[in-house]
Amino acid sequence: MNWNAFLEFVRGPLFQVSLLVFVAGMLYRLVRVLMLGWSRDNVPSKGSKGGGVVKSFLKSILIWPFIPWVKRTFSKNPVIYLAGGLFHLALLVVLILGTAHMLVWKSLLGFGWATLPLPMVDWMAAVGIAAMVALLIHRLVNPVMRLISGPSEWANWTLVFLPMVSGYMLTHHMFFRYEVLFSIHMLVVDILLIWIPLSRISHFIFYFFARTIHGVEFGKRAVNP
Amino acid sequence: MPEETVHQYLQKQGVSRRDFLKICGALVGALGLTRMPPFDESGLPGNLKHTSVKPIDMVRHALETKPRLPVIWLEFQDCAGCSEALTRSHSPTLVNLVLNSITVEYHETLSAAAGFQVEEAKQAAMKKYAGQYILVVEGSIPEGDGYCTIGGKSALDLLKEAAAGAAAIIATGNCASFGGIPKAKPNPTNAKGVWEIITDKPIVNIPGCPAIPEAFTGTLANFLIFGSLPELDGLRRPKTFYGNTIHDRCLRRPFYEAGKFAESFDDEGARQGWCLYKLGCKGPTTYNACATIKWDAGLSFPVQSGHPCLGCSEPNFWDGGGFYQGQSAPLNRPAVTVVGAAAAAGIVAGAAMGAANQSQKKSAARKSKKQKDA
Amino acid sequence: MQTLEAMNVFVEETGGWVASQLEACTRCGMCAEACHFYQGTGNPEYAPVWKLELLRRAYEQRFTLTGKFKLLLGIDKRISDEDLDHWSEINYYACTVCNKCSMVCPMGIDLGPLLHGVRAGLAAAGKVPDDLMVAVNKQIEEGSPLGMTSEVWDSRLEWVADDWDVVIPRDVKGADTLVVFSSIEVMKFPSNIAAIAKILNKAGENWTVSSKAREVVNFGFYEGSEEHTKLFLQRVLDGAKELGVKRIVVTECGHAYDALRWLAGNLIPEANDFEITHITGVLGELVGSGRIKVKPGFFDENDSGTITFHDACKIQRRGGYIKEPREVLNILAPKSFKEMTPNREEAICCGGGGGVIAIKAADPMRYAAFELKIEQVNKVGATTVTMSCSNCRLQFTDGVEHFNLDWKITGLAQMVADAMED
Repeated sequence: MNWNAFLEFVRGPLFQVSLLVFVAGMLYRLVRVLMLGWSRDNVPSKGSKGGGVVKSFLKSILIWPFIPWVKRTFSKNPVIYLAGGLFHLALLVVLILGTAHMLVWKSLLGFGWATLPLPMVDWMAAVGIAAMVALLIHRLVNPVMRLISGPSEWANWTLVFLPMVSGYMLTHHMFFRYEVLFSIHMLVVDILLIWIPLSRISHFIFYFFARTIHGVEFGKRAVNP
Repeated sequence: MPEETVHQYLQKQGVSRRDFLKICGALVGALGLTRMPPFDESGLPGNLKHTSVKPIDMVRHALETKPRLPVIWLEFQDCAGCSEALTRSHSPTLVNLVLNSITVEYHETLSAAAGFQVEEAKQAAMKKYAGQYILVVEGSIPEGDGYCTIGGKSALDLLKEAAAGAAAIIATGNCASFGGIPKAKPNPTNAKGVWEIITDKPIVNIPGCPAIPEAFTGTLANFLIFGSLPELDGLRRPKTFYGNTIHDRCLRRPFYEAGKFAESFDDEGARQGWCLYKLGCKGPTTYNACATIKWDAGLSFPVQSGHPCLGCSEPNFWDGGGFYQGQSAPLNRPAVTVVGAAAAAGIVAGAAMGAANQSQKKSAARKSKKQKDA
Repeated sequence: MQTLEAMNVFVEETGGWVASQLEACTRCGMCAEACHFYQGTGNPEYAPVWKLELLRRAYEQRFTLTGKFKLLLGIDKRISDEDLDHWSEINYYACTVCNKCSMVCPMGIDLGPLLHGVRAGLAAAGKVPDDLMVAVNKQIEEGSPLGMTSEVWDSRLEWVADDWDVVIPRDVKGADTLVVFSSIEVMKFPSNIAAIAKILNKAGENWTVSSKAREVVNFGFYEGSEEHTKLFLQRVLDGAKELGVKRIVVTECGHAYDALRWLAGNLIPEANDFEITHITGVLGELVGSGRIKVKPGFFDENDSGTITFHDACKIQRRGGYIKEPREVLNILAPKSFKEMTPNREEAICCGGGGGVIAIKAADPMRYAAFELKIEQVNKVGATTVTMSCSNCRLQFTDGVEHFNLDWKITGLAQMVADAMED
């Protein structure tokens, strides 16, 4: 198996194709939803809609993994909050604040930015992987999760997990030569890019819709979202 | 009459026994052996089998019993840099020592004679040493017609002709190994490395731009001592010299780990000797001996001198995304127009689906109105 | 055939607002952790995301390529009659549309209106529980699900005015404020009528009730039928128009306020001509400003033990009247008033709203959900529970009887009236 040639393929033409499919697919989904129409809200507000939106986003980003009142409400399942929150934090740290990925963004966007030292990023990556494992176990064991999870959910987990693990192995030169690990990492990333517009992973776009709607609905009622 | 051995040749040059043994010891270093090979592969006579033998014994025995290695050195689409690097040796160096154990019957650039006489000399040497000589190739071979000819013969024909009688082929430099700079886009000559053309001879690649002289001579020494090529990796590079990446042995590695990067060539970080990863260093994905053996008899190598590694011992390094683009970045990105086209395709498809959905909604509204009125 | 009726409604009501939220769901299952029905029974089908699955499948099958593809390959099946029956049960028996799930969704999906959307489809297909439909039809025909016809209303008000010695202005043209009671108060907690009348009269409010707009409860809203919801809202608005009032006050009822304040204006434009408010807000204003005088610490005196406040989903979480009850209770019972946990917008629903209490078959789920409230009240050590919604009051009263508890259940308006200085 000529791993060097394969690496050039998955880093080169396949990556380009995946990126194009990702762009086209995401825009397709966005436009398709937008075109279903939006109606005006004619009812006068009690509180501030804008304020509600701001609070809604802040709650989601800053407080989400650490909501104390949530813990009070749901002492049942703190693991899912921690695992979900830490997973997303790890994603942010590794994909945006990690030097290796920042250089990828730089080549695509034309500008880069300051990044964190490798040990910090590495540690977060390990935390992210552990969080993913916890989330998988939860989805396999919890009765609600078993009911609502279908093939799409299992694919989501796998296609997100593989880049994380292969990336970690690549950074640490574990078991295989770099061209093998780099190829696998790029291959699963390419597959993930194609899968995103076909799956619920595209929630990162619709998050903005739902979060804004949430802020508006609670803000207009003068209730903290 | 048996050919004179290397030892005999050296004696004729006035090298003392003591100095000869020193040369043997130095050659052990040139081999870059990481461990003593099994006795049967050592080339030593059987009566020494259960005695304690050391690498120097292997080398001494080989030099005392074997003749100097005949070498035919061809150059094609090249810059002669690999030859230049080899000859830039001060005496006495390892490189020099090894060069004393070979006879260069023909060298494209360095042969004193020229014209049809040297071509005839080459033919004679190939005939005399048929099956024994080492063919060294420098420069890439164009498959396209007429791009490189010597004495009216195409590079392709010259290579095939010389390869036919060779015991083994050493492709020195990135050009002979993988196509090198001539292969860079748009590759008008359809440049190829030796191993893409010759498939029936043992070939070792010593890539680099140029190849590190010690890597080349170490491989030669291996053939001299053991009569075979050293252990090779998937790209036919000797593992001794190409087994680790620059990154694995780089003196600036601690800075990489600590996240201290030079952001530009003259900033404070650069002056402090920080890691050059952000300036496009390809160290992590480049297998070569630069970080350990270095250049100019261990003087320095690009990263040490402040320039990021270009990855010159890897295939297609010239088209590998750009010397100053991060190693992790994709090789190329789609053109803005192509991305725009994809975006447009997505939007149009989404709009079409959206319109279809809207009409579905309208007919649903009509249906429910009809029901209400009924 | 019924499936097509449901599908028709689903298609019609799914715009960008619905679709973008359905697309945002990541199947994280967090909503289940918030749902008191799931918590109380452990039945995974009560997870709010699963209740919505009917609407999501309809959206996917009708509006997306993935959905059509899945149908073609047999990965998903068309929505069937059995599906409608099943989803009717989980939506009507085990959901009060309390909106707590909206608060915990990491994506911020507003499940309440989406769940109403599911009910809309089920209602169009005639898949509404019988008990609930009986009540709806009663409201259509008699004006109230509790059968409070014009005559019954008349006699009840007469009796309240007489027995409690209060004036209840009726059908006064040109009054400022129209007060619309719920039949739950009129029929089950008549002292509440007296209490509210006493307070408003003392404050000098220019108010009236209307025989046309005598019922604020909206069982069409529970049913999910837009047609019936509008019908019942229109009656209230007609009464308001007829009397020429500027403001409509909804008394102690939750969903009625939700429908009138937040929905009516988008269904019937003339609703926006009126200021619509809840009695809790009025109480807060009257007590806070001193327009009515109450005896501070009135409920601390008789050493009646800890008093706690139950936040009603549609008045506090979805209504915004969160600080008013606290302000009032801190005056009326500064020592005895203790908050249960969680509270305010995070409060746990009583389990009786959304029409659930009207459905006999839903009793087991309703009581299972109520056990969460019992745990809360016991934890804070309260012996009196007060609230600002009479449906909650009905649920608590029934719960106290069913579980044999020795709590006192009361309402905020009642407490204010009791503590009023004459």
